[in-house]
Amino acid sequence: MLQKKICLLGAFSVGKTSLVQRFVESMFSDKYLTTVGVKVDKKVLSVDDQDIKLMIWDLEGEDDYCKINSSFLRGAAGYILVADGMRPQTLVTALAIHESSQALLGQIPAIVAMNKADLRASWRVSEADLQAAEAILPVLYTSAKSGNNVDVLFSNLAQSMLQAK
Amino acid sequence: MLTCCSAIWRSPCCRPNDVEGDDGDGSAKVKPEMSVIDAFYAELQYAVFSVLCEGESQVFTCLVSPPAWFQQFAPAIALGGTGNPADDLPYLDNFLIDAATFWQSQAVGKLASGPWVERDAEGGEWPLEAIALNVQGEWLLQITHLGDDFNRQRRQRQTARENLLTQEQLELEVLSRTRQIKLREAEIALRLVTAACFRDEETGSHIRRIGLYAAEMGRALGWSQARIDDIRLAAPMHDLGKIGISDKILLKPDKLTPSEFEIMKRHAEIGAEMLGDSGISMLDCAADIAGCHHEKWNGEGYPRGLKGLDIPETARVVAIIDVYDALSHKRVYKKSFSEQETLGLMDEMAGEHLDPNLYQVFLSIIEEVRVIRARNPD
Repeated sequence: MLQKKICLLGAFSVGKTSLVQRFVESMFSDKYLTTVGVKVDKKVLSVDDQDIKLMIWDLEGEDDYCKINSSFLRGAAGYILVADGMRPQTLVTALAIHESSQALLGQIPAIVAMNKADLRASWRVSEADLQAAEAILPVLYTSAKSGNNVDVLFSNLAQSMLQAK
Repeated sequence: MLTCCSAIWRSPCCRPNDVEGDDGDGSAKVKPEMSVIDAFYAELQYAVFSVLCEGESQVFTCLVSPPAWFQQFAPAIALGGTGNPADDLPYLDNFLIDAATFWQSQAVGKLASGPWVERDAEGGEWPLEAIALNVQGEWLLQITHLGDDFNRQRRQRQTARENLLTQEQLELEVLSRTRQIKLREAEIALRLVTAACFRDEETGSHIRRIGLYAAEMGRALGWSQARIDDIRLAAPMHDLGKIGISDKILLKPDKLTPSEFEIMKRHAEIGAEMLGDSGISMLDCAADIAGCHHEKWNGEGYPRGLKGLDIPETARVVAIIDVYDALSHKRVYKKSFSEQETLGLMDEMAGEHLDPNLYQVFLSIIEEVRVIRARNPD
């Protein structure tokens, strides 16, 4: 079976682990439990009649003291940049990570997940910033809480990876 | 509200008696044939391998009796047996690339992978770390269950990140409140200026242009965004003091007599008095401008006869753009001049009436000034 490594990247507390948990286990917890290091999960997905095993690397989020260990990105066929619509700076962080990841991995498929879409009415990220991000990368509005667009997020990335191979 | 919850990962001692060789405390059962040193290693919760390079591939030989937690991921690997632990722990695949470089370098010491969390078939989480060592020329790989160390590390980071989140939320709140205050300031400024406009011939377009020209000058001068915002709102209030001048003089269509002009000149002081001493940066800026926009670079202006750099920079900026706007637009008492004529007159004023250095800055942004003018006609 075709196997692909993907990474979830972004600032801390944007919901990377929650997105993986929703995708892999169809579960969601409101409790914030920070990730330390890396969590590796697996899920088989069927895309265009082809089974693909995703090795999902959920990386510890960036903060003032902790930057992404670039060796974790080695071998990735695609990545998801997660940002929190309530925290505008997390979109800036996501796009900065995209730049450094591109420098390391080249042009591989990537998607921005604007997470916490269930709280969209209270978002603080501006429309202008969202449009600027959409000009750079595909953007999906996700909610790990409601499950909205979570499966679409992973299958769109898988599809892009298959097309890119 | 964020809550710090207890760890959900597996500790080496929390496994039920469902793993072969597990005697209930998570460690491998001490078999009768096991040496004391093997039993000791089994208690340490380490899986240790020697590594040999065979061509492109590496052969891993298990040197200690694997602890129970390891056996459930790699049940086929036993003491003295061979097998690549990365086949069962995919994270290791990545680390072994760095480890190979480390082993081949023959560097003394160790290389740690950093923590990672492995999930078992039941969804339990196991915090692990791999360490590559060079010991007496032997290549060793140690895989450790981090247990409570991980728990402590996670608690520390959790607390630090919750603090960062609180700080971030507070900063966003301050930013949002500041924006609201700025909007209110802008609204009050607009209403003040509108009130003044009712009393003389100044148009809304003139007010907008003066603010936009001033902001453009601020940008060209490298001012902070806060200062640029201040002058954009403050510059249109330069003639606010005219509120205090009687209609008889303010609206007189003929030339003012010398005594009437003396009264008219008082609008600068009146404006400065109306806007001053508020402790609000935008209004302080407006007070400087209102009080000093008729001062001249050569000291022959009014009301105080200030000279050169003694005149506040904001007022020197507004003096230039006010002259430009007045000359280039039609007024009841004069026709409008072409841009060429306007700049010709202003060239003569530079160094006398106007700050010659700031005038050069104004000339450098003339393209932007034209765009503002075109977009805001009378």
